[in-house]
This record gives sequence, structure tokens and C-alpha cells, in this order.
Amino acid sequence: MREDLVQNGKHKLYDQLGELARFVETALRTLNQASVPIAASSSELPAVASHLAELNKMTEEGTLEVMRLTDLIQDNHGQTMKELTEIREVLKAVDCTTLAHRIQTTADNLKQDDQLFMQIMTALSFQDLVAQRVKKLVGILNDVQDKLMKLVVVFGPKADEDPGGTDSKSDELLKQLEESKTMAMKQNVADEILAQYGFK
Amino acid sequence: MPADPNMKILVVDDMATMRRIVKTLLKQLGFTNISEAENGEEGLQKLRSEKFDFVVSDWNMPIMTGIDMLRAIRADEALKAIPVLMVTAEAQQQNLVEAVQAGVSNYIVKPFTAETMQEKLAKIFK
Repeated sequence: MREDLVQNGKHKLYDQLGELARFVETALRTLNQASVPIAASSSELPAVASHLAELNKMTEEGTLEVMRLTDLIQDNHGQTMKELTEIREVLKAVDCTTLAHRIQTTADNLKQDDQLFMQIMTALSFQDLVAQRVKKLVGILNDVQDKLMKLVVVFGPKADEDPGGTDSKSDELLKQLEESKTMAMKQNVADEILAQYGFK
Repeated sequence: MPADPNMKILVVDDMATMRRIVKTLLKQLGFTNISEAENGEEGLQKLRSEKFDFVVSDWNMPIMTGIDMLRAIRADEALKAIPVLMVTAEAQQQNLVEAVQAGVSNYIVKPFTAETMQEKLAKIFK
């Protein structure tokens, strides 16, 4: 009776070991099959990062060009304003008050354009915000590529450990990106906090 | 004491576009004596070699960040009295608190307007 029980136990253990061996073999085969596409994908990541960096350069060049053109228009406006002021003085001197008034109105309109030019310039600060985010994305891509390559080279236990990691660079950068979407302060909130520290 | 239009200002930012925006705004507000630096280290070098009256700095920069430059300024007997305005996309509360603790004179969150810049300058130099 006791021998039967031992035999049964051994039989069950062999069954379980067999099952475990089959599982390990399937897992290894799957990992093996996956390593080729993973290697291919990770080899593309530097190109993606390079494209993103290029994107930064392009937006910077575009922004600087808009600024240059805005400066030129602003300079032209300044010149026109000067001319109009001189014309207005001449018209006043020859008693053409109606025309002088119209010139003044035109000059005032041009002055208002100066405000718009400033708004264009400040709106272009979007480029800096975009560039900072793109830099973080490039950092994430580099980190992901590094991990994928490790996975391909040393897959096995590493493959199971990596996804659980919480202190990696990409986790941190992703967290920063997420936070910048949801927790970014507006100036008025910043001012309220500054006021708490005595900034009036 | 209102801001002197002739005061020497140092704009520190790694992005050429932001340096240009800040310079244009300052010029619009009547300040023309403006120099530039691309990071905190270059900023500190300029501050130690020339006399500046005011610093406008970004936070995120390579080599030396704006917050590290601010701490270095406040730790330097010759520079510690210079007002420092941070203009930054680092818009989390802990960043602002960190800047205040490091001795920032005021703080602007990007993107910002000419009015905000004017208001902050008025507060710093009142």
C-alpha cells in the first residue's frame, strides 16, 4: 500500500517535471523567435531618435526665420512711422488738419501692430517647449533600445525582470512627460505660490 | 528702485529661439544692454568676468542647469545680490519651491507674455 503511494507520488512528480520542461522549451523557442524582430526594431530606434532630433533642428530654424522676418517688418514699420510723423508735421504747418489727423490715425494703427509683433514673438516660444519634450522622447528611445538589445543578447531571467523595474531612465522620463501634461502650472498658480513665500 | 534702462542684463538659455524672444521683449521694455550665455557654466563665467545687474535664466540646460547656476550665484559673495529671474517650462510646484529656496527673485512659467515679463521686472525692481 505504502509502495503504491510512493510510486504514485513519483509518477505525478515526473508528469509535472515533464510539463515544466515542455513549458521552458516553448518559452525559449518563443523568445528565440522574438529576438529577431526585437533586434530589427531596436536597430531602427537610433534612426527614429535621429529623426526627432532633426525635427527639433527644423522647428528651430523655422522659428528663427519667422523671428527674422518679423524683425524686418517691425523695422519697416518703425521707418514708416517716422515718415508719417514728418509728413504730419508738414501738413500741420500748412494747415491741412484733416489730412494730418488721418496720418495720425494711420500712425496709431501701425503702433498697434507693434503689439501684435510682440505677440508673434512670444507665441514662438512653443518651439522651446516642443524641443524640450522631443529631447525627453529621444532619451526614452535610447533607453528602450538599450534594454531591447540587452534582452536579445541575454534574454532569459532579464526578460522577466526588466518590465517590472521602476527606477529606469525611460520610466523617469515618461513620468516627467506625463506630469508636464497634467501638473504644469499656469502663471497665476505660480504667482499664488510665490505670494506664500512673500513675493508680492 | 525702478529698473535702470541702462542696466546690464544676462540672458541664459540653451535655446537660441528663447534667448532671442527674451532679448526682444527686454528691448521692447527699453533695455538694450543685453548679453547672452548658452548654459549655467557660461553664465557664471560671464558673471565673474563682467559686471551684470540682472540675470534672466532658463532651468533646463546642458552642462549646468539654471537652478545650479542660481545656487552658485547666491553662494558667491561678489554675485549674490544680483536679481535672478527664472523663465522656465519646469512648471511643477516642487520646481518653484526649489527655486524659491535657492534664492530666486521671481519666476515665469513658459509660455509667457510681454505683460508677464513687464510685471515681474516691476516687482523685482520696485
